[in-house]
Amino acid sequence: MKQRKNKPSRSFQKQQSRTGYVFFFPWMIGFLIFTLFPFLYTIYLSFHKVSLNVLGWTTAFNGIDNYVTALLRNPNFTPALIQFFLSEIVYVPTILIISFILAILLNGKFRFRTAFRIIYFLPVIVISGSVMNQLMNSGNVQIGNVRRIFIYQIMESYSPALADVIAFLFNNFAIVLWFTGIPIVLFLNGLQKINPQLFEAAQIDGATSWQILWKITIPIIRPILLVASIFTVVQLGMFPINPVYGMIQTAIFDTVGGLGVASSYAWIYSLVVLVLIGAMFFILRDPSKDVYVVNIREEQAEKRRKQLKSDKLRASMDRFFKKEKEASDDEA
Amino acid sequence: MKLNIGLPKVNTSKLKRKLLGYNISDGLVYRIAVYILLVAIAYVFLYPLLRMISMTFMSSADIINPEIDWVPQNWSLTNLRVAWSVLSMPTTILNSLWYSGTLALAQTFISAMTGFAFARYQFKFKNFWFAMVLMSFIIPVPVVLIPRWMMFITAQNVTGIKMIGTVFPQLLMAIAGQGVYSAILILIFFNFFKMIPVVLDEAAKIDGASSWQVFYHIILKMSVPTIATVFLFSFVWNYNESYITATFLRSALKLMPLQLGLFDSIFEKMSANVPGASGAPGGQFRINESFKMAATLITMAPMMIMYLFVQKQFVEGIEKTGITGE
Repeated sequence: MKQRKNKPSRSFQKQQSRTGYVFFFPWMIGFLIFTLFPFLYTIYLSFHKVSLNVLGWTTAFNGIDNYVTALLRNPNFTPALIQFFLSEIVYVPTILIISFILAILLNGKFRFRTAFRIIYFLPVIVISGSVMNQLMNSGNVQIGNVRRIFIYQIMESYSPALADVIAFLFNNFAIVLWFTGIPIVLFLNGLQKINPQLFEAAQIDGATSWQILWKITIPIIRPILLVASIFTVVQLGMFPINPVYGMIQTAIFDTVGGLGVASSYAWIYSLVVLVLIGAMFFILRDPSKDVYVVNIREEQAEKRRKQLKSDKLRASMDRFFKKEKEASDDEA
Repeated sequence: MKLNIGLPKVNTSKLKRKLLGYNISDGLVYRIAVYILLVAIAYVFLYPLLRMISMTFMSSADIINPEIDWVPQNWSLTNLRVAWSVLSMPTTILNSLWYSGTLALAQTFISAMTGFAFARYQFKFKNFWFAMVLMSFIIPVPVVLIPRWMMFITAQNVTGIKMIGTVFPQLLMAIAGQGVYSAILILIFFNFFKMIPVVLDEAAKIDGASSWQVFYHIILKMSVPTIATVFLFSFVWNYNESYITATFLRSALKLMPLQLGLFDSIFEKMSANVPGASGAPGGQFRINESFKMAATLITMAPMMIMYLFVQKQFVEGIEKTGITGE
């Protein structure tokens, strides 16, 4: 460090960059070795047959064989994947809506507010894979029986797969609720940052609470909705609610299929998760950046520019004619 | 235009105003409705936990008895005692505590360093790397787990040091900033460090402090509460984590969530040694739900007790991430 300080040629910015990297270095190396490289290497592995022998790991190319095994030969994987996908589609909106409502309710000033917040946050602390498994297996999370409800029976006759997911949602409603812990805090934090004058102004203009919710609160909270939804998608994938997760782990230690098949499982699964997150971005993106709106804005800007140009032109012409006029006046 | 500013009508009775309020959201009716809703949802939140606690203290006769719903008739500690020995208790909890404590320490330190780099320095590709921090949260764990596992097997074979079944793999990953939810911990630090005035750094630098001295003497010493929050989160998440841990530890070390996951099989093994007990229908040592619930309660207990004391830190910690936009 001292040597570097003596060199006057190094600019401040360069030195800053260097020190920044010193602090950042461990994370960067870790990311490259333990996250980025594995991420790419899994793609490579999924097209190979992987085996461990005395020489270490050996890989032999076998095309899309692993994928065929995963999607077609294994009778459990595809249904589990579909179930995972459907459950995310049903759970994520449920969790987001419930946590948003709870955040709005908790936002007011009333007694025992902190106590409620503590209760709603408790699951974040105690939730873990095996705890959830035990609670779900014991049937202690079931409140009421959804299969007796008429609407449910109608739905089951149309789409048994979706009906299963919804039955699971209601049978494990308490556990699904447990995922609202962090989204509630995020929403609450966002709600408290909204300027109360906005609400007052809207009230003075005669807006009802319902209108205020849709026209002010939700547009402002939209970025948080995106963060919370991504968080929920990631979280939901990490627990036994997700059947694929355990399947990949068993596949790692499975000697018949080997790591190649496990990688193809992992890769297909990740693709689904990333597509879901992409969909979240698409649904909850900032609408003011939409192509349509951008086009309108550009049109307006173009119009203004043209206006400006013609104004300038007129001004310069005026000036020109004025000069000419003055010149002719002078001549006269 | 109709004027709508709070001119109360003369004929509105006081009672009505008290019940409904000027605006619906400050009337008594609304408040009662909110309370009912909040209590109902809180009940659903706590339902599994309450059930678990109630079952833990039921004797085996109480569980079969359909008349007993919540409060056990014959209180018994048998379930707890059985679960305690099946989980091989004092050892397991001590293991769990030092294991997650070590990982949490490593994670806290590295997140603080990374957060400091992002909050204070302008380096090349900073935005790109920041995006990568967020990406590391989104990338699903299974997809990176397999090569990680292969790496450690290879390292084990090459160096001859035992890796799988020890704390090493996870400790190494934690030190490299790739532990459980590392990205969130980094965000907490990043946002807190950003709020510390840069003037302090500059003053110290003028007095001849190096970057490390600034980091240690100013930044870290000023953010003790944040460090505590991050450590607690990391501790809890490492304690509850069982997916990565199960992959790298296998069954070499007894940890709480892992033992709970294996509860059934361990119970089978242990009860086989009790003469004439296993397999007998209705026998005292047949596995039943209340044993499992007692074990679940024991697994949760350390975290719940901790939460009772430091719950404020946890809730504020999530707010400190600043992912709600600043």
